[in-house]
Amino acid sequence: MDPDTDIGGPAHRFPATDHSAIINARSDDSRVRRRAFDTILASYWKPAYKYIRLKWRAGNEDAKDLTQGFFALCFEKNYFATYDARKASFQTFLRTCLDGFVANERKAGQRLKRGGDIDHLDFAEAEHEFAAHASTLSPEDYFHREWVRWMFTLAVDAFRQRCEESGRTVHFQLFERYDLSDDEVSYASLGKDFGLDTATVNNYLAAARRDFRRIVLEKLREITATEEEFRAEARSLLGVVRP
Amino acid sequence: MRWLSDDKLNHLRSVVSEPDFSATKYTFVKELGRGGMGVVCLAEDRELDRLIAIKILNTPDITEDLRNRMIREAQIIARLEHPGIVPVHDAATLADGRMFYAMKYVRGSRLDEYAAQGASLRDRLRKFQAVCDAVAFAHAHGVIHRDLKPQNIMIGSFGEVLVLDWGVAKLLDREDRSYSSYRTYSNSDDTMEGAVIGTRNYMSPEQARGEVDQLDERADIYSLGAVLSFLLKDQPKVSKAAHAISSKATATSKEKRYSTASELSADIGRLLDAEPVSAYRENAFERTSRWVGKNRFLVLLVLAYLLMRIFLIFTSRR
Amino acid sequence: MSKPLIGVILGAVLGAIDGLTAWFTPAVRDQLFGIVFGSTIKGIIAGVAIGFFARKFHSLPIGILFGVLVGAILAWLVAFMQGGYYFQIILPGTLVGLIVGFATQKYGNTPATAN
Repeated sequence: MDPDTDIGGPAHRFPATDHSAIINARSDDSRVRRRAFDTILASYWKPAYKYIRLKWRAGNEDAKDLTQGFFALCFEKNYFATYDARKASFQTFLRTCLDGFVANERKAGQRLKRGGDIDHLDFAEAEHEFAAHASTLSPEDYFHREWVRWMFTLAVDAFRQRCEESGRTVHFQLFERYDLSDDEVSYASLGKDFGLDTATVNNYLAAARRDFRRIVLEKLREITATEEEFRAEARSLLGVVRP
Repeated sequence: MRWLSDDKLNHLRSVVSEPDFSATKYTFVKELGRGGMGVVCLAEDRELDRLIAIKILNTPDITEDLRNRMIREAQIIARLEHPGIVPVHDAATLADGRMFYAMKYVRGSRLDEYAAQGASLRDRLRKFQAVCDAVAFAHAHGVIHRDLKPQNIMIGSFGEVLVLDWGVAKLLDREDRSYSSYRTYSNSDDTMEGAVIGTRNYMSPEQARGEVDQLDERADIYSLGAVLSFLLKDQPKVSKAAHAISSKATATSKEKRYSTASELSADIGRLLDAEPVSAYRENAFERTSRWVGKNRFLVLLVLAYLLMRIFLIFTSRR
Repeated sequence: MSKPLIGVILGAVLGAIDGLTAWFTPAVRDQLFGIVFGSTIKGIIAGVAIGFFARKFHSLPIGILFGVLVGAILAWLVAFMQGGYYFQIILPGTLVGLIVGFATQKYGNTPATAN
């Protein structure tokens, strides 16, 4: 491992399955279960909200209530612990549960009680994104696409935080300028801006991408239950195999 | 948080799906191409300071058993040491579980590109014969390719011919081997009977029907015949014998095809030497024409002699 | 088929044809049999010499040149013995030598390459 270019531990390989929130959702320890739930919530609330807006044509307030209500119920009843990886991917399981939930709510016609301590989510941003970026995808494909988008967004944020914590903000800035920005930049122009030679820019960017990839896969690992599911979702997430 | 547009998202996905060679001795240089089975990259071998081609296979959910089979298969293909078979240097697993092969990087052009550059019929046939020889060698070692096509054949910068992409190769069951035949690695729904492996235009009928267990060397013969048809297409003055060879190789019934790639190669050799080929029975006129064509200069000399003789007869009469 | 044998056969055939064309010269028609016989023998001698030369020396231009020389010399000898018809004998004789020289270089097996 190159200490100058790699962050995190020496683990180039994948984290062990005990990082899986899906597995931890079945834990007897309530704190572990809560952390697991928070991880799953963080990964899925936004795509769930947009999915409800698109498929169920719910207004923004209804969609917000439905999203919160769904996850609150999931926490209360610990639905995530019932997931069986042999039957479907967790994403499919969650979406199916979500559909069932919304259908029941529509039938019942009652306004939900919010709960589960999930009021901190930025639904305004989610609504803004949904309104600003229409899609022609089917609801299922849209859900997947938005999940991928959100996973990468979370990964970018996590990457930024880790770089700041380890004192390597230059790595993140280079990554941001080259891979996230819409500006056309070259290694030479970046080198000029950051006072680095081209080879160093190349190395830093390569390391940044490597670390970013690791973070994406770590995040994915957290919300998959088995090795097989992880690998299948990794290929889907990375666009190697169509879902 | 920053909104990631579709373009940005796709870019990040490609950045992240770029092979992570960090745990290997290779450095990614660039992507060379993508196929149904995976992506081929140009990489640098840092230890040996040379460029190599790496094929990363798009595996389905990979189990330990399948991984071992794939490695064993790579070992078998690596033992196919023939100038016409691209050598496999290494086979291992990336950090994300994807298997890869490291192969010789062949500088040159694919057979379809070579043909498009205006290669003569004779040159095309010579290259094709070299392909047959390489395939015959593999068959003799119990390996069938199953995806022969112009895009999987390279013409190197020295004119050498190399058959690539043994990723769907099948090991035939042989009594003298210590392991039994097994389904090779392929896409997730290709390992079952009824699934289709290969490229449609060059695929034998039995392959197209998904009869994976019934495939033998003659499936490759069919593909070779289809490659020959491709090489003969739009060429002027293609003889009936050449077409007959192509037709025999691509016979629908495998019993009617050449039974070995060596036989096909031999017929191509005879065609190149203006000898009669086994696939086509000539009539007397065609036989004579072929002989005259082969011995053009001698025939012209004799004709010149006879003309001279006639000239002398007439002049002496006067 | 060996190179000397090719030389013999071709030399004999062309020599015979050569001899037979004497039929078109009334003055020598009654000597036709002798002419054909002699011409055939000449062709065989030339063929053997050129064939053995081709077995030893593998060069198309040199083989042709040797054939031309042998054919021309033998034809000149015949014409000299005939006391005339130099042009009518030497030209075809030279051409026969050329043909045999070419054929023995191009075709036939040497002992190392015999099937």
